[in-house]
Amino acid sequence: MTSIGTGYDLSVSTYSPDGRLFQVEYAGKAVEAAGVAIGLRCSDGIVLGVERLLHSKLLVKGANRRIASLDEHIGIASAGLLADGKHLARRGREEASSFRENYNSPVSVQILSDRISAYLQAYTCYGSVRPFGLSSIIGGVDKTGPKLFCIEPSGVYYGYRAVASGKGKALAKTELEKIVNKYLDAEQSGQGAGLTCREAVDEVARIIYLVHDDNKDKDFELEMTWICQESGNKHRPVPDDLLKSAEEKAKAALEEGMEED
Amino acid sequence: MVSKAVETPNAGFDFSNYARNEFFGQRLQGIPKATSTGTTIVGVIFGGGDSGEEPGVCLGADTRATGGPIVADKNCEKIHYLTPQIRCCGAGTAADTEFVTNLISSNLELHALSQGRPARVVTAMTMLKQYLFRYQGHVGAHLVLGGVDVTGPQLFTVHAHGSTDKLPYVTMGSGSLAAMAVFESSFKENMKREEAIALVSRAIRSGIFNDLGSGSNVDVAVITKNGTENLRNYEMPNERGLKSRNYKFRRGTTAWTKESIRSLIVSEEIKSTSGAGKDQGGVEVVPVPTGAGAGGEEGMEIDS
Amino acid sequence: MANINSVDISRLKNGEVNLGTSIMAVQFNGGVVIGADSRTTTGAYIANRVTDKLTHIHDRIYCCRSGSAADTQAVADVVHQHAQVYTSVYGAPPTVSTAAALFEKMCYDNKDQLSAGIIVAGWDKEAGGSVYNIPLGGGMFQQPWAIGGSGSTYVYGYCDATYREGWNEQETVEFVKNTLALAMSRDGSSGGCIRMCVITKDKVERHFIPGNELPRFWEGKEIIGSVGGNGQQIGVVA
Repeated sequence: MTSIGTGYDLSVSTYSPDGRLFQVEYAGKAVEAAGVAIGLRCSDGIVLGVERLLHSKLLVKGANRRIASLDEHIGIASAGLLADGKHLARRGREEASSFRENYNSPVSVQILSDRISAYLQAYTCYGSVRPFGLSSIIGGVDKTGPKLFCIEPSGVYYGYRAVASGKGKALAKTELEKIVNKYLDAEQSGQGAGLTCREAVDEVARIIYLVHDDNKDKDFELEMTWICQESGNKHRPVPDDLLKSAEEKAKAALEEGMEED
Repeated sequence: MVSKAVETPNAGFDFSNYARNEFFGQRLQGIPKATSTGTTIVGVIFGGGDSGEEPGVCLGADTRATGGPIVADKNCEKIHYLTPQIRCCGAGTAADTEFVTNLISSNLELHALSQGRPARVVTAMTMLKQYLFRYQGHVGAHLVLGGVDVTGPQLFTVHAHGSTDKLPYVTMGSGSLAAMAVFESSFKENMKREEAIALVSRAIRSGIFNDLGSGSNVDVAVITKNGTENLRNYEMPNERGLKSRNYKFRRGTTAWTKESIRSLIVSEEIKSTSGAGKDQGGVEVVPVPTGAGAGGEEGMEIDS
Repeated sequence: MANINSVDISRLKNGEVNLGTSIMAVQFNGGVVIGADSRTTTGAYIANRVTDKLTHIHDRIYCCRSGSAADTQAVADVVHQHAQVYTSVYGAPPTVSTAAALFEKMCYDNKDQLSAGIIVAGWDKEAGGSVYNIPLGGGMFQQPWAIGGSGSTYVYGYCDATYREGWNEQETVEFVKNTLALAMSRDGSSGGCIRMCVITKDKVERHFIPGNELPRFWEGKEIIGSVGGNGQQIGVVA
């Protein structure tokens, strides 16, 4: 870390001589330490998944969720500081509800992402605050179809077909690329309808189990939500039976992979 | 006792003027009212079409200002300047029409400067209506707004509450009914300039003669893209005629028993002390004759 | 063009310009027809006999104004501005429902200082033609047809009896025209001419009916039982 000791990393309102904001980059480090979060845009909806690391055996099963709903049709999965994630989700809900109030129509995923990104960006401008230690995946289905975005601590955001952030995101991204390419080829050649949410649930589970390192990492719980026809085009947890079977398949695939090695 | 010399004022609102105003109200049979321009103001669009004339706007106004039943001003100006190509006739509370047009004129000049082009009439209209709406009718300005801009001749009325109308011929003020009667019977599209001026002054005359609140002279302004012509007192149908008799009495008509002449000029003398006052026992002021007692020879001559 | 009932007239400030009015909007398959009379009054005086109460809000959204002229113009101006900002921020035109929501918010939040009865109507991609009524104190009601203003009270029955679903554009225009003519003939503070506007995906088309060409209905005979004037019956209710 070349920045340490230079004094340019003490405040987010000071640039380093080569034009970087170290505090924003440090916020990125907070994300890298967190359990992986994955978003996948399918032909018929969105699937969000996180690897929820358990720091204690005493935690209630299924509690302390990291995926939140911003509106009926939009979900947010955060990788990074848990409390920041809660705060951001709350802010997102306020934006979504104020949009509904003002315009009598549900906010689009793009507009909501834009508003949340503007909020994050404001926390990179003042010496009195710290940037959010978050990388947030926002997925939803609006009148323009399924949409997926990822916002970084700097406030920058991009639209994705599939995205991962948090610990082991590199590996997750390679896996996602394989899936996307496979279905992209299928779509372009006119064969197959593309990836469905049901298929994506299995894929996301598989990737999360793959990325998780049993030796180094703490235990984890798999948390998954989706927005598709089956969930009434609403942001809902993936049903238990489906989640269970996806986990089974993921574990099996892992075994298989090990045998191959 | 020293403490009494410097009194701290009481905190809070002071309502003592309320009692005073009530008292005046009783004494004067009602609180004095603001001068209002019981008024006839009008505007028409002319030219264009087959007339072969430059399209333009002709505005007109009478010149009477009233305060209750009193004619406060017999020849006031009700056609106000907004910009070189935009004028505004005002009816209602005289002070309000004066100040609102001044304010908007000032803002239009700044607007033109910042935009690098002359302000449009709709801009003036929008500024006026938003200002008047904000004051919910308490700024009592009823206006006829006219001018020529890049979009051609434009004519509007603006009511005190902030509503506007866009029409080819308009009237406002207490004489608006009389004036509108003239317009409704005689207005034509694409009039010649001279026809328009004649129609406008006829409408104003109709207000002057049929409406108590309007009177005196006719002011006209003609705006085309070539410039604005102010025809102040274009018609003066109420000039004071010569009296057939005069009521001066011959000198000596009244007999008198005693003659006493006094000086009405107050004079005082100031003695310069050149800053040496102390030694000489201070400034000495000569008592001023206050007009009491018989005047001297230098007194004003009466009836000279 | 006073407000919806006589009590409301007292809400106008002294000397305020009033849109004693008959206004209307009707949905049909593919669009809406809106219409209004053209009378603006100050007390007993007609301040404007050719008023345009059909006010542009966005490319395919209009509103009909009733109540105080100043208030409704101010509100329409503000919503017009909101709609423009909305378009440039979100890159798409607002829906009629969104425009109506903006009107409703203004009218409800400022209900103590406004006298405005507004009908918002237009066409959008999601809903096609739609009509929203925003009465005096706020509130927002989507309706297949809406009437408003002082003249509307006289023609509720006519509308209830006459309106049918599934009309085409031409039939809807006739309905609006007849309804307004009836309202204007009974309401003293409505009158003048009829202005109408047809809003569909492809066009915003204005119609103008001069005061001497209004639809006419039974207007009485000189003596009860005798045949009027030229012995002809004039105008028949559709």
